[in-house]
Amino acid sequence: MILIIGYGNTLRGDDGVGCYIADCLSERLTNPDVEILSRHQLTPEMVEPISRADLVIFVDAGLEGIPGEYDNYRIVPAGDMSSFTHQTNPASLLAGSKELYGTSPDAVMVSVCANRFDYGEVLSTVVASAVPQVLRKIERLVEAEMTNHA
Amino acid sequence: MAQQILIDPVTRIEGHAKITLYLDDSGSVENAEFHVTQVRGFEKFVEGRPFHEMPSLMARICGICPVSHLMASAKACDELLAVSIPPTAKSLRRIMNMAQIVQSHALSFFYLSAPDLLLGMDSDPAVRNIFGVAQSHPLLAKDGVRMRQIGQQIIEILGGKRIHPGWVVAGGVSERLTAEKQDRIAALLPDGRAIAQRTLEWYKGALENYKEEIATFANFPTLFMSLVTPDNKLEFYDGILRIVDSKGTVLSDCDQPDHHLDNIGEAVEPFSYLKSPYYKPLGYPDGIYRVGPLARLNIVEQCGTPLADAELTQFRKVDRQSSFHYHYARLIEILYCLEQIGQLLEEPDILSDRVRAYAAPNQSQGVGTSEAPRGTLMHHYQIDRNGLITHANLIIATGHNNLAMNRGILQVAKHFVKGNDLSEGMLNRVEAVIRTYDPCLSCSTHAIGKMALQIQLVEPDGTVVNELRR
Repeated sequence: MILIIGYGNTLRGDDGVGCYIADCLSERLTNPDVEILSRHQLTPEMVEPISRADLVIFVDAGLEGIPGEYDNYRIVPAGDMSSFTHQTNPASLLAGSKELYGTSPDAVMVSVCANRFDYGEVLSTVVASAVPQVLRKIERLVEAEMTNHA
Repeated sequence: MAQQILIDPVTRIEGHAKITLYLDDSGSVENAEFHVTQVRGFEKFVEGRPFHEMPSLMARICGICPVSHLMASAKACDELLAVSIPPTAKSLRRIMNMAQIVQSHALSFFYLSAPDLLLGMDSDPAVRNIFGVAQSHPLLAKDGVRMRQIGQQIIEILGGKRIHPGWVVAGGVSERLTAEKQDRIAALLPDGRAIAQRTLEWYKGALENYKEEIATFANFPTLFMSLVTPDNKLEFYDGILRIVDSKGTVLSDCDQPDHHLDNIGEAVEPFSYLKSPYYKPLGYPDGIYRVGPLARLNIVEQCGTPLADAELTQFRKVDRQSSFHYHYARLIEILYCLEQIGQLLEEPDILSDRVRAYAAPNQSQGVGTSEAPRGTLMHHYQIDRNGLITHANLIIATGHNNLAMNRGILQVAKHFVKGNDLSEGMLNRVEAVIRTYDPCLSCSTHAIGKMALQIQLVEPDGTVVNELRR
């Protein structure tokens, strides 16, 4: 199973790009082996679906780089789930999956560099323009994973 | 020379706070203050907004208990409309409200407090967290994850998403429950009930380990307040607002929402942005009261569902003045909510499409009261003739407990903290008494423009050399 988690605050401009991409993918990817979550934030309960996945793709807005450009990189389990429940991060969720369920899938972060975080539900022009490429990138990641497991 | 011990931040709670312990010359704790350091300002910035926006605005006060604010806000808006919402809408709102209680109580017990309860108050802080619990008690850790999932999944099925769901609106809910959703929710309940029951069995067996904490964790007489049904059973959505004394004698019953605030005063202390509500007839601070799971179970005669009532019979045997037993009460409430959700799903009209009453504003003020996971929550709105908010006052569950939390940390600190021989476990117990209340501090602070302010200039050795107060 491939799990895609797009997260962010959809009321703060480009911070919502993760959710926007997850929502787009929900309409484009109908394979029952792909589960897509669009969430306001990462929460500890996500360790359960993560433990069932072969690959997890996290999608979020980033701060590094040129607005509108995206990057993808591998994430490994690290750290702990913190003393504060609202500071969960991808690496700690992977570590939690390993700790609780004995397994931690391969994981990738797809990060889109944000332009602005103003109040509003609309993506900036430069980030919105990047969305089609990001969607295709994630779809290629999904195809490659499906091929590996075929 | 007098010293201070600062616990900053208080860990494993929702929101941000710190605690100052004031020591006398011998190193004993003389005074303690619980500082809520957040300013949110919701009461101010909603002024001028159309009242029908309030439920979705207010849900964003918090990411842990947004549904609680949806309920109280929607009820206040129902009052502004002067409508009685359809019975099916009331039942559906109840289901979502109780799913909220399940997931929030699960967070408090399994994630925030279980590390202390399972690993010990003096255990290594590096492992005294959900990871440590996962290593030593993997089944309980998985149960906690699953229980929270169950509550959140029910909320998502009904409201479209787990955090800040929509669906609850002025006049009712925005769409009916389908048979497919009814089945999906029902399928989640047996697992949840099983988890609640085995957790209760474990917890009751472990109470022997906490005798000292039970005796000292905010173990003093106070009033208690909650909603109840007319026949004195658990009630999270509607009912009578009841205040009892420490012996259970009823001091006040009110079934008129617009009079719910008549007996509640709010004091402001200079060391915190969290106001201190009190029972006005007894004055401040003698009018101290507690709300939430412990208060609710202390007030009612029965829960109203068979498994929870069986547990309540055993709960009656403990010292119910001790705030430590908020943990126990939380588990019983989880069980009750899961049972009650099952009963509501089987109501004959639960799939009805009559789920919303429509009207224009017909009253200039409305009060909505509901029971949040942490206690009684009140939203009070006033509007102009165009339906725009002119005034909003929120009395948050955690705020009701502020006096008790402050007195609780002083009691715990006096008993456990020795300034001349300080250990991390001592300070963890001071934090742990706060955790029994499961405070939601991001919810609880909203006043702006009228906050007290205290600034101290403190030397490295703790000597206060100057102070400014407003």
